[in-house]
Amino acid sequence: MKGKITAKRIVFYAAIVVVWQIVFSLNIWSENIFPSPLQVAEDLAYGAADGTLFFGIATSMWRLIVGLAISIAGGITLGVFMARIASVNQTIGSLILGLQSVPSVAWVPMSLLWFGLTDSGIIFVTVASSLFAVTINTYSGMKNIPTSYIAAARNMGTSEAQLITNVMLPAAFPYLISGFKQGWAFAWRGVIGAEIIFSFLGLGFLLNVGRELNDISQVISVMLVIMIIGILIDGFVFKKIERKVMSRWGLA
Amino acid sequence: MTKLEARNIVKRFDHNGNPVLALDGINLKVDEGDFVCIVGPSGCGKSTFLNIVAGLEKPDSGEILLNGNTISTPGPDRTMVFQEGALFPWLKVIDNVEFGLKMAGIPKNERAQISQRYLDMMQLTKFANSYTYQLSTGMKQRVAIARALVMDPEILLMDEPFAALDAQTRDLLLVELQLIWERTKKTILFVTHSIAESVILGNRVVVFKNRPAKIKKEFVIDYRRPRLAEDENLLKYQQEILAELRTEVKAQIKREFEE
Repeated sequence: MKGKITAKRIVFYAAIVVVWQIVFSLNIWSENIFPSPLQVAEDLAYGAADGTLFFGIATSMWRLIVGLAISIAGGITLGVFMARIASVNQTIGSLILGLQSVPSVAWVPMSLLWFGLTDSGIIFVTVASSLFAVTINTYSGMKNIPTSYIAAARNMGTSEAQLITNVMLPAAFPYLISGFKQGWAFAWRGVIGAEIIFSFLGLGFLLNVGRELNDISQVISVMLVIMIIGILIDGFVFKKIERKVMSRWGLA
Repeated sequence: MTKLEARNIVKRFDHNGNPVLALDGINLKVDEGDFVCIVGPSGCGKSTFLNIVAGLEKPDSGEILLNGNTISTPGPDRTMVFQEGALFPWLKVIDNVEFGLKMAGIPKNERAQISQRYLDMMQLTKFANSYTYQLSTGMKQRVAIARALVMDPEILLMDEPFAALDAQTRDLLLVELQLIWERTKKTILFVTHSIAESVILGNRVVVFKNRPAKIKKEFVIDYRRPRLAEDENLLKYQQEILAELRTEVKAQIKREFEE
């Protein structure tokens, strides 16, 4: 079954490359606009060989990890306070819902004014992009805990602090995971978007350089890398955690 | 000696803006080491009463005394076995059982010693490292009982713990619970809607009258143990209680029909 799916995918992607090559061979557009698969592959190999690609990946990933870590820590804290204290939810909660609707690139001008062309500026955009998704998911997770867990814990003599750390957060974990997953997706968009505008190292910067050099192969190859990293993190990090959590929490 | 006393417990609920009397002055004394069952039709307020004893809900008036002292908050001196078990799925069986001890700050090796005893008693040793999703409903309720007993409560509260079990598993646990009660000498307050269960388990069976709940009558089941589910001699006790409850159930059906 699984082998069959993999086979289907291989055929599908191979077909894309073949069609791509055929369209290229028809010479409808010039090479500067529509490169061949081989040119993109060459560009990838070149970027890998001289290290710029890996340096770009490392820079973007580092910003992503720092930003996401801040968002996760901050989002959980905010979410817990919103879930436990009604006034916090009624006030800060409404603000957070509003802030979540702000697209991540809309934070860039403010970040540039506050932080200038620095890592901190890009990390700020990353945090602003992902913090509220983590917060909202934590909040709904805390609100959806079966009341019997809380009754059982209080029945065994847990204090309020113990209740939050030992019962409510673990009970809400399936929600936290989807918060992290959403947070990561928003953070990744945030990092790349900010890097394009900041034009200060990272994969977004490489995209921008490609544009400035009129090098469509580089643009496409960097886009491929961004996509592949997305697939890898989604498939290997989050799918695995999710599957484990879902079965253990009895949700699958 | 009286272990637990409920004095004139009154509880009202808000039903679409109208206060509805749920418990209308419940008075109950449970002696140390006794096994008392509360039986009544579903929705009669017996679980509410048990929650008040546990301190999970507050009565509008009246008080609960444990060993003569008024209590108002939940605590590990009155651990409860819930109907759905309410086990924590993120913890292994052993960590579920040790949970209350851990919260109380008891060191790890001491916890292990205590929990081992109850894992053995509930025949869970083999499953100590399983997660709860790997267990059958019956096994889950064993874990829930071990988790409650581990706290060495003054009184063990049980809220329809066998209601979701299949008949065979339930009959087995009904016998086991009697053996555990004899071994641990625990005071047990057990709520059920099953008359059969109440006469198998209880030394005393307290019948709750419906809406508002009041104690209608009390029966003493003086019969040898362990009592088996298929014991025909228990039928006459069941019939006595059923006769008492029948009018209640009829009244409830009529009320529900009219609503």
